[in-house]
Amino acid sequence: MIEYLIYLLTFVVGSVLGLLYSYKQHGEPFVADGQLNILACIISIVGWVLAINTGNIILRGIGFLLAGFVMGERPGYGRKETIIGFVIALIIYLLLHWII
Amino acid sequence: MADILINVIIAFLAGSLLLGLHRKIMARVQKRPGPPIIQHLLHSLKFFFKETAFPKTVSKPFYIGIVFILAAVWIVGVIVGPVTKNSLLILFGVYAIYKIVEHNSGSSSGSPYGKLSCVRAVLSAATELPLFAVIVLVYLKTNTMNIGGIISYQSVNGSLAVSIPLAALMFFLLLLTKSPYSPFAITKDKALVSGFETEHFGFLRGFIMFAESISWYVMLWIFLTIFFGHLSVVGYIIGMIVITFITSFINSVTPILNPNHSVMSQITIGAVCFVGTLIMIFI
Repeated sequence: MIEYLIYLLTFVVGSVLGLLYSYKQHGEPFVADGQLNILACIISIVGWVLAINTGNIILRGIGFLLAGFVMGERPGYGRKETIIGFVIALIIYLLLHWII
Repeated sequence: MADILINVIIAFLAGSLLLGLHRKIMARVQKRPGPPIIQHLLHSLKFFFKETAFPKTVSKPFYIGIVFILAAVWIVGVIVGPVTKNSLLILFGVYAIYKIVEHNSGSSSGSPYGKLSCVRAVLSAATELPLFAVIVLVYLKTNTMNIGGIISYQSVNGSLAVSIPLAALMFFLLLLTKSPYSPFAITKDKALVSGFETEHFGFLRGFIMFAESISWYVMLWIFLTIFFGHLSVVGYIIGMIVITFITSFINSVTPILNPNHSVMSQITIGAVCFVGTLIMIFI
């Protein structure tokens, strides 16, 4: 069970960091951000791919940290990036485990 | 011991995230941005560092003690459920003590809001009847009250959610009652501010929120384990997210019922499901 605790903790730490970072970046009142943040998108893809597709505890921990970082951004930001990252990671998982 | 500690922390973190998700989904259904998913956890931790004040009207030993009992009760829930997979009867006892805590937390505060919530806690004991009925029905079906035994039964005979779906519905009603902003949450009606929690500040509120997070995780874990058998970790995560999504959707579109309607609805649904399940088992 200790590995799941590590994943949860890294996800939580990533979310807190993401929240702090995005409030530093966007201090304005709530606006639904329609633009895709390429950097956040890359972080999200790397995070979710590592979290879902690696068997190593450390790599998965880093993956959850990165995924949590984007997912934990302030409301209105990081939604699309999270969905893109998760879907790509899921497709890679399916390709690796079911199709190949 | 380490296993218990790890499971309690997991229950707290996962329960907090799920309750955060619950708030987020409710907000999105109501076309609000809503707080970040991490907010419930941050909120719980924040209270541990806030100043704790004691109103003059409180019965102090009781007022403080009851909060620790609440936390202890749900830690026992984690030990009996995810850690040892022990008897359902102990979990029923845990839930019964939770009701007593709800009752006494309100009455010890001296606040009129807390006292009214305490009276409603007695009324809302109607939620325990379906829980007890579920335990009886599961026992009639599986001949065991041991969670490990129920898991073994399901691995041979298939999921109980398929063989006794009305019992699963009864348990889901309990989950719905337990979820935040539920139509059946008469003890935390907004007319009573925060109900029995109104006069608990600082680290005492932190402990209450800690216990609530654990309780949400434990209740979801029990529901999934009793009715769907032993799931993989991914299965539990998906199941918990789906149930949290369903309850938050229901809660966001349903106003809170008045106490009489709430109790009568719960008892009626419970009775119909109980009789229906008995018919399914014996006929």
